Amino acid sequence: MNRAQLLACPECDLLQHDVPSPRPCKALCARCGAVLYQRGDGGLERTLALTVTALVLLALANAFPILTLELQGERTTATLGGAAAELWSQDMPLVALLVLFMALVMPLAELAALAYLLVPLRNGIRSPGFAEVFRLVQFASRWGAVEVFVLGALVSLVKLGHLADVEPGVALASYGALMLVMASIEASFDPRELWARLTPA
Amino acid sequence: MSAAAELGVLACGMCGLLSRAPAAPAAACPRCRARLAFRRPQSIAHGWAYLIAAMALYVPANTLPIMYTSSLFGSSGDTIMSGVLFLWDSGDWSLALVVFVASIVVPLAKMIALAALLASVQLGWRSRRAERARLYRLIESIGRWSMLDIFVVALLVALVQLTALAAVRAGPAAPAFGAVVVLTMAAAQSFDPRLIWDRERPRA
Amino acid sequence: MNDPAPEPIPQALAVPKAGRSLPLVWIVPAVALAIGVWLALSTWLERGPVIEIHFRTAEGLQAGKTRIKYKDVDVGHIGEISLATDLTGVVATAHLSKGAEKLLVEDTRFWVVRPRISGSTVSGLQTLLSGTYVAVDVGKSTQRRRLFVGLEQPPAFTTDVPGRQLTLRSEDIGSLDIGSPVYYRRLQVGQVAAYALEDNGKAVRVNIFINAPYDRFVSAASRFWHASGIDVALDAEGVRLKTESLVSLAIGGIAFATPLEEAEPAPITSDRVFELYRSQVAAFKSPDRIADSFALVFNQSVRGLQPGAPVDFRGIVVGEVAAIHTQYDPQSERISIPVEIRVYPERFTSRLLGGAPKSGRLGKDSLFIARLVERGMRAQLRTASLLTGQLYVAFDFFPDAPRARVDFAHSPPELPTTPSTLEDLQATLVSLANKLERVPLEQMGADFTRAMESIDALARRLDTELAPEARATLAEMRNTLSEATKTMGAASRTFNAAEKSLAPDSALFSELQDTARELARTAQSLRTLADYLERNPQALLRGKSTDGQ
Repeated sequence: MNRAQLLACPECDLLQHDVPSPRPCKALCARCGAVLYQRGDGGLERTLALTVTALVLLALANAFPILTLELQGERTTATLGGAAAELWSQDMPLVALLVLFMALVMPLAELAALAYLLVPLRNGIRSPGFAEVFRLVQFASRWGAVEVFVLGALVSLVKLGHLADVEPGVALASYGALMLVMASIEASFDPRELWARLTPA
Repeated sequence: MSAAAELGVLACGMCGLLSRAPAAPAAACPRCRARLAFRRPQSIAHGWAYLIAAMALYVPANTLPIMYTSSLFGSSGDTIMSGVLFLWDSGDWSLALVVFVASIVVPLAKMIALAALLASVQLGWRSRRAERARLYRLIESIGRWSMLDIFVVALLVALVQLTALAAVRAGPAAPAFGAVVVLTMAAAQSFDPRLIWDRERPRA
Repeated sequence: MNDPAPEPIPQALAVPKAGRSLPLVWIVPAVALAIGVWLALSTWLERGPVIEIHFRTAEGLQAGKTRIKYKDVDVGHIGEISLATDLTGVVATAHLSKGAEKLLVEDTRFWVVRPRISGSTVSGLQTLLSGTYVAVDVGKSTQRRRLFVGLEQPPAFTTDVPGRQLTLRSEDIGSLDIGSPVYYRRLQVGQVAAYALEDNGKAVRVNIFINAPYDRFVSAASRFWHASGIDVALDAEGVRLKTESLVSLAIGGIAFATPLEEAEPAPITSDRVFELYRSQVAAFKSPDRIADSFALVFNQSVRGLQPGAPVDFRGIVVGEVAAIHTQYDPQSERISIPVEIRVYPERFTSRLLGGAPKSGRLGKDSLFIARLVERGMRAQLRTASLLTGQLYVAFDFFPDAPRARVDFAHSPPELPTTPSTLEDLQATLVSLANKLERVPLEQMGADFTRAMESIDALARRLDTELAPEARATLAEMRNTLSEATKTMGAASRTFNAAEKSLAPDSALFSELQDTARELARTAQSLRTLADYLERNPQALLRGKSTDGQ
């Protein structure tokens, strides 16, 4: 896997040799310091395990309420889907779609696509549409904003906590865990390893 | 040290494979079939377009109310800034700071930095390349955090629907601000940072 | 492709192939999955029963939000609301919390609590602030039920209020409404729960509810009457004004009492329907259980006799005229006027020396009637009122009457009559004269004269004394005013004295000052708050700057 290869820095276009090093490792560009690639410990196996975890967490995060508000005996709960629906019903379709897109659709696409690629790959099978799905993974990872959403939920929790009883729900913890898991996926996933697996040396 | 483009080598933005540029004007990566180009096409033009649009929408995003709170006693609108001030007044300094940074500082900084980067590349500056590269990296990484206020508004709108007592509605600044976030992210993505390091002035 | 760099090809490292066993990292998704499954299970297990409630309208109900409360405790919420398949109402699906199964029995009732103003009740105003909710009244049945029809009005009483429900029957509803009070000895002990027209449209059934512990005062012999409005009676004792309460004046009411003469109060059967009388007097009239019919043939004009006219025996009403017929006898070519009367023997024999006739009926006991007729009892038409010319039937003993027999062959039996005569007219005039004699005319005249004299005196006084009186009164008023002024002056002097005694620097004075300042500050801050609230309505929710909430 760690053959000496040539790499071009994505930020300054410098051609440079790859230096093989043991896991875990991170390669930086010699000129501008951009991250060329990261390689985590467990390889694709770990990435797949984390992806499955993240999918479960994402499902939980949307099945249960994120926050529960209680005031004067009236109680309301909020889920991501519910928030988007409420915005839509208030004539804000663009905002609703944007919220859904960045907090649910993109993370889901990234995780599902990654699983789609990795699961058959365990048995050496190349899934159909591999290249397109791979591009989807790269695109989705740039547009997902789960950690921003978690922070947004915390800010709302504090803001509303002044005037009513607000309780965090199961989904908030789930989103928080999802945030951490997706960060470790990003740290452990090496696309070069993915392609290398496909075309065995 | 030579850039790959100088040697006629195309680097795939998706999978990182290096390939020799063909004679034809359009090329695709042999491994992942992504479209290949030496530099992102129309990078500067698109960058300015998105950036100016974002700047134009930034004004209403901050002057119009982003959220309406109504109760038995009337209705009032909150802009992004007044929301920050409210948090500050309530004693949540840390939160006020977080929202201030995410919703006001970050978009402004992004827009200014991108404008600077685009201008610097267009004017053909050679100095401070490393700093400019770092600036670009910073912009790319914090871009998404401006979505914070939008998420807060979305959750408040979903939660505070208590009919008679209190109800929250999203205001016109919400889609404007959302557009600002998307546009600045698009502008940062369309800007090709390799242009900073090119020895020649870019063609487009 | 790559430009291969010139370097010695290194030896590949032999790495043992990973076994089929799953590496440790898969614990992480396993744990996540386990947590997810556990959460899903616990949520599913905590789900309570789901029922359907039919309402006529979904007004005030919000799908997914409206709460269901029992004794003000949240027991569930309304999930979905949809139109009924026959479009006559709405079907609300209610999700109840766990443990609410015991609420769902056959006679449990649901209704929507909204602000309501009706008749005598104002209810549900708190829902203006807190939002409408669905209230439950749990029934006592043991049979489970899943489909309910919601009430359109809150029930007049809930099943857990102890008391007794009774059904009354009235000619018309009068001024009663749901919530109209029921009185016992002028104390409100219950209320009208519902009313409805009988199927045959001839009467109104009124359901009332009497709260415990007053329901033990109701027995099978109790009499109920309309206690609405004012009862005015004008009789020898003068004018009598009776009313139960001002409330009953406005919204009507029912009163009841149990007659004392009833010996052992019989228990009330569940299907017992009480009669609701028009007035207390009507309620306590002893019911005439037995009526005997007789026929009387008069050979004179019966103009002025109407069905319903009383049948009288020496001043006691013993019956009434039922109907007046005309009869033509072709044999004798005579037209006669048989008058059918109804006699209530109980009135006749309410105190019968030697005991009442065994069956209580006169008609059947022919001996009794025949003996009376033998002794000279006849029926006669008499003038009830000279003014209106009304007639009534009078029974009396006429020793000089020609002999006659009761004609038992006819049905109803025919009793002999005797004509009204001039003597009778004379008797009437005499009795009138006697009545006039009984009127204390001299007394009245003397009273009248005295009254006139005093009026005259009053008029004189008005002429001569009122003016000076008025003047005197005015002067008095002025005196009173000056007295008041003097009093106020004295009061102010007292104040001054008090003030003098309260040194400006005394503790009391400064305390007073402080209090005054405090009050002023409070007023000021209240005003500021009001202004602030006007400008920033959301502040009410969020609180002011530093105090938070």
